[in-house]
Formats: sequence, structure tokens, C-alpha cells
Amino acid sequence: MKEDAATPVDPIEDSYETLYEQAPCGFLSMTPSGTILKVNRTLLDWTGYERDEVVGKSLSGFLDKGSQLFYETRYIPVLRLEREVREVVMTIRRADGSLLPILVNSVLVSPDPLGPEVIRTAVFDSTARRDYELELLHSRQAAQASEARVRVLQDAANEFAECNSEAEVAAALVERARAAFAATETAMFFLGDGGSLDLVAGYSPIVDLVPLDSLRPAPESIRRGQFIGLSSLEEAMDFSPEVADALLATRLEAMTVTPLIDGAGPIGVLTCFYGRARRFDDDFRQLQVALAVQAAQVLGRLRLQSELQHAALHDQLTGLANRALLQERMDEAIAVANRADRPLSVLFLDLDGFKAVNDYLGHAIGDSVLREVASRLRSEVRAGDVVGRFGGDEFIVLCPDTDEADAVGVAERIRASVGRPFDAVLPQFPVTVSIGIAVHGGGSRTTDAMFTAADEAMYRSKNAGKDCVTVALG
Amino acid sequence: MISSPEVVDVQRRNNVRVSGNLAGRPMVFANGFGCSQEVWRAVVPHFEDDYMVIRFDHVGSGGSDLAAYNSAKYESLNGYAADLLDILSAEDLKDVVYVGHSVSSMIGVVAAGRDSSRFGELVLVGPSPRYVNDGDYVGGFEQADIDGLLDSLAANYLGWSSTMAPVIVGNPDRPELGNELTSSFCRVDPQIASEFARATFLSDNRRDLKNIGIPTLVVQCSEDLIAPFAVGQFVHEHIVGSEFVLLATTGHCPNLSGPDELAQAIRAYLE
Repeated sequence: MKEDAATPVDPIEDSYETLYEQAPCGFLSMTPSGTILKVNRTLLDWTGYERDEVVGKSLSGFLDKGSQLFYETRYIPVLRLEREVREVVMTIRRADGSLLPILVNSVLVSPDPLGPEVIRTAVFDSTARRDYELELLHSRQAAQASEARVRVLQDAANEFAECNSEAEVAAALVERARAAFAATETAMFFLGDGGSLDLVAGYSPIVDLVPLDSLRPAPESIRRGQFIGLSSLEEAMDFSPEVADALLATRLEAMTVTPLIDGAGPIGVLTCFYGRARRFDDDFRQLQVALAVQAAQVLGRLRLQSELQHAALHDQLTGLANRALLQERMDEAIAVANRADRPLSVLFLDLDGFKAVNDYLGHAIGDSVLREVASRLRSEVRAGDVVGRFGGDEFIVLCPDTDEADAVGVAERIRASVGRPFDAVLPQFPVTVSIGIAVHGGGSRTTDAMFTAADEAMYRSKNAGKDCVTVALG
Repeated sequence: MISSPEVVDVQRRNNVRVSGNLAGRPMVFANGFGCSQEVWRAVVPHFEDDYMVIRFDHVGSGGSDLAAYNSAKYESLNGYAADLLDILSAEDLKDVVYVGHSVSSMIGVVAAGRDSSRFGELVLVGPSPRYVNDGDYVGGFEQADIDGLLDSLAANYLGWSSTMAPVIVGNPDRPELGNELTSSFCRVDPQIASEFARATFLSDNRRDLKNIGIPTLVVQCSEDLIAPFAVGQFVHEHIVGSEFVLLATTGHCPNLSGPDELAQAIRAYLE
């Protein structure tokens, strides 16, 4: 700029030079790649640099590191593409090392249409606003983060409440966790009776890669009853080299495991895998643990429900189907037999000699005989057959897809099996079984009719001297 | 799970644009964090006569399908690399010259490490396999600096002034700049930008360099504070057989500050 103080600009400002140099904001002119060409006095005063320390250098070099990243990746590209950026927040490092928060407006112009382009920048000191605004920003971020955590838990609670099975809860949990923690993969394992961990939902990339005899995060988390976070491959290596190798082999760098614990103890784990090193701070842990607690509560409720449901349909003493469940299964079996035109047989069993056992040896021995009979019946039938206790010493066996000849075969096997001595019973109290068979078709088309026909056939066995098999007349 | 190209409209998802000589060798340009495929606009004319030029936007930026964004998939560079492989396969490209700038250079390295079959040559412009210092390794930044960037992003996109977003993204006082223009090429969703910043600046891809078995050119700018000279050298030394070229243009974006010089360097390498 030329010195031209002799020509006043107007009565108030004595020259453009003074206006430029002493303006109440900083001015910078730069090449399009950010090399400083010209700077005003105000900005030099604010930053404590001499003019020759600044001119010829890149603005980027005077910024703090966070601003540098923003400057190079966002400010410069946008400015070059759109030719203008406004109110960008950056931080300058002063000559004495202190920081100066600034607001920047920039335009990319061609002062001479044939000459080089220039970035003109106005710089405003935003110290006063900055602290307040950063505080505001951080408190807003904290509020948003805590709101997001609450939302994760609320959404999960709503979704879990709709689930009707353990598998559904597990599937909902792995999906929720994947979204909430931005995890590459998530998986849920149930703790089996023998201490095994069985995958129920999601996917674990490393589960087959880590030898069973090495230290593994999921069983370890169950053992400790605690969240385990391996935030990087280094931490994984410290935990166990086998785990680090498995993560490396699957392009993963971090993982977390959270045990699901209900009143009685651990019931499973949630594992999450991440594609890069992560930081698991208190908020992260707490959210993951809270999500696991929610899922565990719902799983506990479903387990209780299914236990109650089981109890309502099964005989408490023998564990066999009770009369209500037999009725239901029989109705289904008849429907299938009708639809597919397949045979169906039902065996009605009544123990011989049981009353004497009960009366002379006591109910405890009687109960043990009933339990033993139940177990012998189970071992003599196919998986698809249904064994039930009809009441007292009466049992029923439903045999789908079984015609008369096969039913007689089953009945004879059962008769032989029940007729074997019982450990708890003296030989002078023999227990045998009288059996009646009804075959679906002919006169017996309904559940009641089938049960009645089989019952009548059983009485004919009793009358014929007990310990034998009779088939109902069609 | 990684999305498969059969069910995804890759072209729409990544705003894939094809130009130039459709019979020529394919050349794929991928931009870095912070902007869109528009950053290549002064570079591609140097190649359109004899190459088929393919440009695209990463999901979450530019004209990509924002609905395809998923925090879990794009938590690390693996998700972006999977998208790149999808694009090469959807367009059935072979013997590709892949030009990746900044984080996209590493996205290309990860993708080529997973399946190199469609790559012919890699051109890595301003690559850094890890931005955060680690022991003897000098990436140029500390964790606190990355936190500073995230603050800076937050202040600039999410901050106190809701007018800030339109200022950066669009321009309320200058409608002639047009929403179409700004909304397409510098459009940024603040949340996605901060997640992409984490994936970019907190990743460690040093191990991936040794998996590269294809000819590679490392392009280094002068005075690049984001990917300093030593980092470019590190990449060059760890990719066996790679070539290294230092550009005179300064800063981190030679595609904008020195498009002619960058294009000539790439041409010299290819010819």
C-alpha cells in the first residue's frame, strides 16, 4: 500500500493506511494456499509477533493444533471452492505461547483480474465470548450426551418389554448395543449349565480363534462379575496374547465384555468389538452395564414366566405332561392325523399292585415308584411321543404316526419295562401295568372319545388278569 | 455386517460420478476428511482425455445418501474401505489407478490390503497412517490435539450460534451462491463430521502398509502440518517398492493449491 497521507480520505479518518493498520480488527492478506502476504498493526499487537516473523509464513503455523486440523481440512477447501467463509472459530498461538481465540471471515478475490488470487481475512478477538461459549458448548455437549444415554436406555426398555422370548431379548440387546456404542460387531452369549457360553444373538469374530485353554475375556468377565474393556491391541496383549492375535486377524482393535447378572448370578455376557482403539470412560461403562442390567431383568422375568407356564402344564411329582397338556397335545395330534391322513394311537396305562405299595410301604415309596415308572416310560417311547400322568397311578402315552400293530409293540415294551422289579419295593409287592390302546379312526374321532375307548380297553386288560395289553374295538 | 453391492445402490449411496474417456484405464479419485469430490475439480481435467475418471463421496459427506450412514459401520476406516471395494466391483473396474487424498489414501490402503484384485496402482496424496504420536513414532499430534479438533468442529458446526451452520454450510446473505452448490459439495452433518474425524484422526493403520503388494506413489506436500514430511517418509519406507515425490506446493491440499503440479507428478509416475 502506498503512503498517501497528503490526501485525507474524509474529515474523520486521515488515511486508508491508518484505517487499515489501526482498525479495531485484525487484517490478513494471504495467497490462496495460506501464505501471509500482509498483516495489520492491530493483529501484530494482539499476537505479539513482529511483521517479519509473520509475512511469508503460513497462517496455519500460528494456529493451535486443533485449529490447524480444521483449517487444513475444512477452512481452506471450503474457501477455495466457495470463495468465502464466515465466522469461523479458530485459536492463534501468540508469541508468548498464550492462546488467542479468534473469529475469522475470509474471502478469496482477484484484485487484478489477470493477477493472482488473494485471501482477504478479517480477524476478531473473541476472548470474551470464547470462554463463555466453550463452557456453554461443553455443558450442552454433556447434556446431549446424557440425554442420548437416557434415550438409549428408554428405547431399549421399550423394545425389551415387547419381547416374548429370550432369543428376542438377546437380538434386541445386540442391535441396541451396536448402535449405542458404534460397535463393529456385537454378540450375546448365554451361560449354559456346564459353564459353557452359547451364542444366542449377533456375531463374535474372535470366538473360534481364541483357544479354549487361554484366558478369554467373556468367561473372565463372568468369573469377575465385572465389565472388562480392552481399549487397544496393547491392552488386549496385556490381557492375553491369544486375544490380541484374534483381534488383529479380524481387523479389530478393541473389545468390551459386560456380564448379564440376575438375582441368582451371571446368566450371560454382552460382547462388543470395535474397529479402532477406543476410550471406555465411566459414562461408557455405566451405559453398557445399565443396558446389560435391563436385559438381565427382562430375561429373568421371561425365565420366571416360562417356569410358571411349565409348572401349569406338568405334573409336579413326575415332570410328565399333566391332564391339561395331554388334552392340548391330543387335540393337536388329532388335527394333524386328520389333515395328513396319518394313523395315531393312544395308550392308557393303569398300574397293577400300586395301591398295596402305597398302603403298606408308605407314600414316599409310592412316589418313588411313580417317578421310576415315569422315567421308564420316557425311555421306551420316541422323541415325538407324549407321555403324561392322567392322575393317581394312571398314565397316557400319545403315539403320533403309529398304527395298531406298532402301538401294540410299544405297549408290550412298556409292559415289560414296568414289570421289572423296583429297587425300593420288596418282591412280595409286584408292580405291573394294564394297558388299553385306542387307534384314531373308526368310532374314535375326538380326544374324549379316544381317551374313553383306551380307558375301556385298559379295563378289559384288568379283567383279563392284569399285566396285559388290549386294543379297543374300532 | 458389511453391506453387499447386490442389494445396495452403490452409485446413489456414494454419489459415484463417471467422466472422461470411458474406454480408458479407470482412475478413481477419493477425497479426504472435510469436503467432497469437488476438491478434484481442477485435477481431473488433466486425465479426462485418456482415463475413465471416477469420483465419489464418502457416506456422510457431499452428495452421498445420508440415510446410508451408520455409526457402527463407519466407526473405523474398515467401513469406508468396504464401500470403496463395493464401488470398484459395482462399476466392474479393473487395473484401477487409485488416487486417495489424506484419509482416503489410508482407506485405499485398507481396501487394497483386503482385496487387491481390482487395483493397478495406488497414489497416496498426503497420507498419514497414524496422526497421534506413539512412542518413537511421530504422527504430529497428541490425543489432546484431536480433542481440540473435535472442539473446533463442535464450535464451528454445533456451537452456540445456530446461525453458524448455515454460515459454514450455506450462505444466507448470498443466496446467489445457491443452496444447490453449497448443499452438495460442502454439506456436512455435524454429528457425522465429528464421527468421521474420530475415525480419521484416531485410527492406526501402520500395520496395513506392509500388506501393499501393488506399485505405489507417495505424494508429499511441502510444509504439510497435517501429514508432515517424516510421516510421508514413514509411509514410503513401509510400503515396499513405493516411490516418493515431494511437491513444491504447500499445505495439505495440493488438489486445490497445486492441481497442475499434482497432476503432472501423477502423470510422470504413470508414464
